[in-house]
Amino acid sequence: MKKINKIIASIFILLWFSACGDLDVIPQDQLTTGSIGNTADGIINATNGNYALIKDGAEFNGIVDDNNAYLRQYFQMSDFAADDLLCGQKTEDPFYFTFTYTHSPSQSNARFFWYISYKIINGANAVIELLEKKGELTDAEEQLLGENYFLRAFMHFNLVRFYAKSYNNGDPSANLGVILRRSTAEPSEKARATVQETYDAVLEDALTSLEHFKTSRGVAFASTEAAWAFLSRVYLFLEDYDKSVEYADKVIDSGKFVLETSESYPTYFRNAMNRSETIWAIQHTPSDSRGKFGSIASMMYSDGNSGWGEEFATEGYRSLLQPDDVRRLYIDTVFTDNGDIQKKNGLDMFFVTKFSFQDGDPNLSSPVMFRLAEMYLNKAEAYAHLGNEALALENVNEIRKNRGLENQQYSSVPSGKTLLEVVLEERRLELAFEGHRFFDLTRNKLPIDRTYWGYHIKGLTIGQIDPNNPPEGYDNLVIEWDDPRKLYFIPIDEIIANPLCVQN
Amino acid sequence: MKKILLLFLVLIISQHLLAQVSGTITDEDNQPLIGVSVLVPGTSTGAITDYEGKFQVNAQIGDSLALSYVGYEPLRILITQSPMQLQLKTASVLLENVVVLGYSSKAKTEISSAVAVLSEDELNDTPTSDVATLLQGKVSGVQVINSSGEPGSGAQVRIRGISTIKPGNAEPLYVVDGIIGGSFDPNDVASLTVLKDAGATGMYGARANKGVIIVTTKKAKQGKPMFEIQTSYGQNIADHGNIKMMTGQQFFDDFSAEFYRDYETHEIDKIRFYQDYPQALRDKNTSWIGELFQPAPIQKYYLAASGRTDKFGYYLSGTYYDEGGTFRKTGFNRINLRANTDYKLNSRVTLKNNINVSSAKGSSYDYLDLYYSYLGVPWDNPYNEDGSPRYVDGTDRDWWSRDHINPIHSIDNSDYNYKGVDINYDLVLNINISDWLSFSTSNRLSFSTNKGHRFVSPLAAGTFHGKGYIQESQDMWYGAISTNLFKFQKSFGSHDIDGIIVGEFESGQNEDLSLEGKGLPEGFDVPTVASKEFAIGGSRDEGKFRSFISQINYNFDKTYFLTASYRIDASSNFPPKSRIAHFPSISASWLMNKMPFIENSKWLTSLKLRTSFGITGDPEIGASRYLGLYSLNTQYGNNPAATPYQLANPDLTWEKTRQLNVGVDAGLLNDRINLGFDLYNNTTTDLIVLVSQPLSQGFEFRWENSGAVSNQGIELNISSVNVKTRNFEWTTSFNIASNKNELKDIPHPFYTTIGGITQIYENGREIYTFVLPKWLGVDTETGGPLWEKIERDDEGNIISRSPTSDYSEAEPQIVGKALPDFSGGLSTSISYKNISLFANFAYQYGNDIYNFTRVFMDNDGHEPYYNNMVAKDDWSRWQRPGDVATHPSFQNNALSKEVSSRYLEDGSFIKLRTLTLSYDLPTKLTDRMHLRGMTVGLSANNFFTWTKFWGQDPEVTLNRLSWSMPGVSDFKYPNNKQLLVNVSLKF
Repeated sequence: MKKINKIIASIFILLWFSACGDLDVIPQDQLTTGSIGNTADGIINATNGNYALIKDGAEFNGIVDDNNAYLRQYFQMSDFAADDLLCGQKTEDPFYFTFTYTHSPSQSNARFFWYISYKIINGANAVIELLEKKGELTDAEEQLLGENYFLRAFMHFNLVRFYAKSYNNGDPSANLGVILRRSTAEPSEKARATVQETYDAVLEDALTSLEHFKTSRGVAFASTEAAWAFLSRVYLFLEDYDKSVEYADKVIDSGKFVLETSESYPTYFRNAMNRSETIWAIQHTPSDSRGKFGSIASMMYSDGNSGWGEEFATEGYRSLLQPDDVRRLYIDTVFTDNGDIQKKNGLDMFFVTKFSFQDGDPNLSSPVMFRLAEMYLNKAEAYAHLGNEALALENVNEIRKNRGLENQQYSSVPSGKTLLEVVLEERRLELAFEGHRFFDLTRNKLPIDRTYWGYHIKGLTIGQIDPNNPPEGYDNLVIEWDDPRKLYFIPIDEIIANPLCVQN
Repeated sequence: MKKILLLFLVLIISQHLLAQVSGTITDEDNQPLIGVSVLVPGTSTGAITDYEGKFQVNAQIGDSLALSYVGYEPLRILITQSPMQLQLKTASVLLENVVVLGYSSKAKTEISSAVAVLSEDELNDTPTSDVATLLQGKVSGVQVINSSGEPGSGAQVRIRGISTIKPGNAEPLYVVDGIIGGSFDPNDVASLTVLKDAGATGMYGARANKGVIIVTTKKAKQGKPMFEIQTSYGQNIADHGNIKMMTGQQFFDDFSAEFYRDYETHEIDKIRFYQDYPQALRDKNTSWIGELFQPAPIQKYYLAASGRTDKFGYYLSGTYYDEGGTFRKTGFNRINLRANTDYKLNSRVTLKNNINVSSAKGSSYDYLDLYYSYLGVPWDNPYNEDGSPRYVDGTDRDWWSRDHINPIHSIDNSDYNYKGVDINYDLVLNINISDWLSFSTSNRLSFSTNKGHRFVSPLAAGTFHGKGYIQESQDMWYGAISTNLFKFQKSFGSHDIDGIIVGEFESGQNEDLSLEGKGLPEGFDVPTVASKEFAIGGSRDEGKFRSFISQINYNFDKTYFLTASYRIDASSNFPPKSRIAHFPSISASWLMNKMPFIENSKWLTSLKLRTSFGITGDPEIGASRYLGLYSLNTQYGNNPAATPYQLANPDLTWEKTRQLNVGVDAGLLNDRINLGFDLYNNTTTDLIVLVSQPLSQGFEFRWENSGAVSNQGIELNISSVNVKTRNFEWTTSFNIASNKNELKDIPHPFYTTIGGITQIYENGREIYTFVLPKWLGVDTETGGPLWEKIERDDEGNIISRSPTSDYSEAEPQIVGKALPDFSGGLSTSISYKNISLFANFAYQYGNDIYNFTRVFMDNDGHEPYYNNMVAKDDWSRWQRPGDVATHPSFQNNALSKEVSSRYLEDGSFIKLRTLTLSYDLPTKLTDRMHLRGMTVGLSANNFFTWTKFWGQDPEVTLNRLSWSMPGVSDFKYPNNKQLLVNVSLKF
């Protein structure tokens, strides 16, 4: 009996000690928010994380959908709403709502874009606050501070362009912009700032970033020049043309960048990280290839296996490409076995390859956010508005010289066209599919004309397509510059959880 | 003389006192039964049979004896002679008397809570790898859904509705042989107890919200070694439900031609049609379903040996289960070995060892291959002239199917397989400290590891064409749990009191690892040959649990029963201030059998009233949900990158359910009819919810406690022996349960959405309620789709409802729900002499299913190159003005396949799960073969389903996961119809 008591007692004591360890379990592959600032690496990692969020897919609504990545939505939400790409196939993908202008507050591409933009903004806020609390900063830390200010400005700027009226549409001090998030400490419910306030904040953050940049970390990261390029773009939207020219010139005069030539341009986009035209690009490594379901390329190109290849370059765009223009090499015509142009669902197939072939991967590229060509074209547009034909054309010609059109430079505005038309045509040729066209038209108060066959026409069936005549009598063929449908709705999630936020 | 008289008196008295009645007790096979309790009713006299089944008891001829023994019918008999030869009969199903409740066991009559017991025979009516499948239709209030027919897949079990709204695991807690968790093969199950109310589940406190299933594996039976062999062999046949895909001709004439119907003349423009679609296509007819789904063999072999000596008992078994998949290149097999042994070390101490080892292997599939097997256009021929699968990609012009994939070629050039090993070792030490106190310590070490292998050959079409892809993943789980309990038992006259005090400690860790690479040379599928685009992943997590449990049972006169328990749990999943939670429960019952109105009643044999109240919880939210976190799982330009992952919530606490249950059990006509009736009202508060944050915070959600859900229900069981004669017996068992689910106290409604299909979580509604634009059919004039537009005044009150052809005007509204109004089952068994016929039906009524597969297969021409299903009889397509049609014109179909109530269908069904005919060989024959028994049988499973649902089959997932929504029927691995031959031998 005593022996048994001893056995029981010892079992209990043993168990008590073995189980009495504390119940704190710290995750082993995550950092707690409190510990991120404790190490030098923590701040760098958190800053890199803000860039990674631009390229990565992220879980949204409980789903990791490959569709959902910042860049894919950024390009699709702008270019699929414009006139360089046509919709060759009805689809379940929410970008179909962009093509057809059937926007709604529950549209997942626009909801995700909003969400991930603010995730980056708040990620930037967290780093900014940690560094500013620190006081004395090293050069490396100053650089990180600058980068985070820049990212915050860049994100707010893209948001205000998608979700608010353009700056020159009505009164910017009355029109609603987006919610400004410039601190992690503020209440979760917050009203939208005005368009004016939004742009003010964008400018302030971009200018602040310039005070902090020290040693550039390369073109994969924000830098002084990236911030200048950004400001040049922002001032165009603000119609402050002198400023736009001023900042474009700073970039050009820095001497750090050189335009690609007609020889190098055809391979530029697949090598963007290593080319001298790039100011800032989102670096993708081979492991970042997002494949058929998530890459930007997969919708507009396929080698038979790599993508869906359902969106094609429009005739309106292709007709601008002169035979010598090397930019036409980014259009890949698909032929049938007997040499005709292949049709899909009744539409001619012209693939676009600007986002393909980095490291040989048809779905991989490091999308360029700013490049030198845009600086010349920003200047051209600014000078056109300022009425300076000579300088406008000079900047246009700077591009044409390097795109195989040495012999087709402008000496004057061709008859039947305005100077602005010449500039915008060149911008369209040069910057197509890079997220500019939709905003270029809006900013310049021009309609989007989509009088061509494609499934942006709601309810179209193949039997209705008449290859010999343009479509007639359908909705959505021409979208006026100030059509309210161009604005994406504020995501339903924001409206429900933030009663202060007013819907578009 | 006085002395003589005294001596005589003493002799008489002592003779009387020492009068010994002796006897031997055996089972029906004349094997001695050891340990049978022999009592003389009304006295404290009793005995226990020894190794040879013998007993001696102080009693007289004329007294009576009460014999009782677990698993056998009790016997009360008058002593007419000594020694006596007595035989006990194996307890029939209706008289099952001891119920295993996890930490303790109790006689059924003494239980005050709602539990259901299934014996081995009731449970194991068909071979399967998953025990949950076997519960379908058998227990009231337990909804079982076999949402996939993939070999090796398990069923989803929901006990008394849904008590949590967070995504993830909603399965009940399994307790195997008294220890939480564990694994087992269905063939090794001796009995299974479903604990439904807090009176029973309260003992599992924090983990009991979703109900508890107690599994008891087989033990050695008395006597000499026994062997048993069971084999089943048969076929799986894919059950595509009501889906029939179009033939080449149907697809040509009934579908493709519609694209050319002129909207003005309403006629097909045949000239253009035949230009684009050569008429020869009509004669091309590939049945993709026929090519990809084939009947597949299924087999099971179970061997067991058991025996017992006075010190040592053993049960050893091996099961081999091999299930072929109906879908190309899928299958599953498992070997399970179990050794349950017990040793009597001395009169006080027993030691038990249970070991279960299983090893499984399977071949899975890729969702897209399954998807294309339904949607492939019948004009495409998947084979080359030499019969090999044809390679197709986007550059092939003579291929019609939309995405230019030949699933047969893809499947043959890829591999999705997995292997796993699972080991559980239980060590239980029982010490009887005194006649009223015992101690036991039950300890389990578990280890499991699974390896997954995904391989796509460079030859396969698709994203990996030319480079190939390999991914290997491995996870490992190891854990230990120790349950230590003191048990006491005392009687004072008519008062019986017993109880337990338990300390329980658990800790488990999970580690996983994965790697992938591309650039594989043709013909190789090991990771080392990959040459580029490598990625690695891996994680570790840990959970700890500590619990203290106590319970007291009291009864007076075996008539009034009272049980109270109290459990304290501590889990590492919660922040320090809410880490510890308390879970009390109490239950009481009144067994009215001694009431005169029952004793005198001709028809009422027994009656019990019972009630219970208690609190249970749910800690399964995953580790570290309360911390603010950055995730380190990405990189930028190959530099480490940390991204904000989770908002902190230091106030996070447990979900708790208050459960109230009232029940009645009655036996009628000498227990020929047994009734059970239960009412319950459960309210779960502090629901752990991902509460939506303004997205502009950079976080979608935060884990918070918010809102409540109540489940109120009624359950009824009736089992009866309808006819019983010497040669003929007919029994039925019927159950029905209705559960009403309702959300409460939710601050503002929230939605979950998958592919636009939306469910609302709103006060006063049940969970999984569909909120969709309402479909109003087809405009008779235009042939276009119509939805319902709701107009509201400034206060939001509805002014009018009208049809609209503009989808964006159609306000989503409540149109259906995924949970049934009631569900249940019916089993019936008819036997005549040695032949018996058994049928088991399961049913549910009142739930809706969103038939997402129709978006593709019944697509109004939105997808010209997906095959479509043959229209249901009452479907029609609009062709010209005036047509009253269910389906819109191809020419005016805008957004018709967008999410709406159009695809919401009645999901009610009745299914004949099992129909079995079996034959017991006559003893004469088996004796000659030296067998104790032999049974041969034939079963047909799932052959008949009655449903209006027009999709794969109405057993649709109830899991809320990132890729699945309860009540949404997406393409899934079809369930199986099975035909089986079963043979079992005992010797």
